[in-house]
Amino acid sequence: MTEPDSARLDALEPDDLDGHTIDELADYLDAGMTPADPSIDESPACQNALAAIVRLRQSSLGALEAAAAAEAPADESWIGGVLANISLEARAGRDVPLRPLEPTERGVMTEGAIRSLIRTTADAVPGVVVARCTLDGDVDQLGAPVRVSVEVAVREGVAIPATATLVRSTVADVLDEQTDLVVDAVDVVVRDLLPRRTDPLDDPATEEDA
Amino acid sequence: MPHQSLTELEDAVLAGRSSDGDVRAFEVLIRRYTPLLRAYARRTLGSTDELDDVVQETFITAWNRLDRLEDHARVKSWLMRILSRKCIDRIRARRDHLDVTDLEVAAPADDAPERVAEARSREDAVEAALAALPEAQRRCWIMKEVLEYRYEEIAEELDLPTSTVRGLLSRARKNMIRLMEAWR
Repeated sequence: MTEPDSARLDALEPDDLDGHTIDELADYLDAGMTPADPSIDESPACQNALAAIVRLRQSSLGALEAAAAAEAPADESWIGGVLANISLEARAGRDVPLRPLEPTERGVMTEGAIRSLIRTTADAVPGVVVARCTLDGDVDQLGAPVRVSVEVAVREGVAIPATATLVRSTVADVLDEQTDLVVDAVDVVVRDLLPRRTDPLDDPATEEDA
Repeated sequence: MPHQSLTELEDAVLAGRSSDGDVRAFEVLIRRYTPLLRAYARRTLGSTDELDDVVQETFITAWNRLDRLEDHARVKSWLMRILSRKCIDRIRARRDHLDVTDLEVAAPADDAPERVAEARSREDAVEAALAALPEAQRRCWIMKEVLEYRYEEIAEELDLPTSTVRGLLSRARKNMIRLMEAWR
């Protein structure tokens, strides 16, 4: 019995929407329906139109997701082309000086290379994935104190305090060994929990039980 | 990374690593979002051989600007906005300015309700209804409803007065609601 509704929706002019325009209704929705407007909230015609707008919004995004599912996966050689065209320098950050061994020597390591070192080191700690790392301080000045912040995601079920301590110490060690940074502190921030691993290849016992 | 595959990581982690210069993390984002970006570009530009280029440009721009992305969890909508801008540039290059006659035509094609009614799913019906909209209305609708742009942002991107954008969206809304009435 939707005929009367569709007849009303078909008009969509203020006379049919208790004095409101369809655009006012869309803006009301955008504003989270606050402050509440009883002339909209209590009007069946407006509620009908609002419901139609909500359905359209949901299916507009849904239609795009459906179209995406119908697209072929990215072509491997095309991906290779994209990667060949991105500039590593764009993400290299500042130049971090190395302590010269000879008076004429002026070695640098990029901030990006140091972040990569931190990432590889912390990723190797069981149950840890690095999200980001930041070097705070004048890293382009040799000997300036630097504070390192490592944001990580930790796999559910892993002991967080012990893991954070391990990340902190291995990162501090590798920076001490492989860079000339004067590290004041390594802060570890656990940002996310990764879902427990369900891959049976990781745990053959589970597979046999199943 | 012996114990962790990047492909199962969330967008926020991948975007953070990419911003720090991790090309492999960025590659995962490329694989994850290329179909969506291609679908968006196809809808905006039609099925042309420009699709590969415009999506590639999107990823290159994104890589260069990753440090400006404040909320890493929103990398998907951020990529779509970059792409949207690239698509608009392409359309501009094709014909200098948005077609003014296009702004005047308010009515979808006559057989549009029929095609919407024949759709097999609500998503297909929306697709058919969108395809029937005049181009300027469709573009504004997608920017508003899919990319969640504000009126002023659409006006800026399309180089149109905000009042024109409001008018186009008003007609697009009515057309979309009416067309979708055909689908039940």
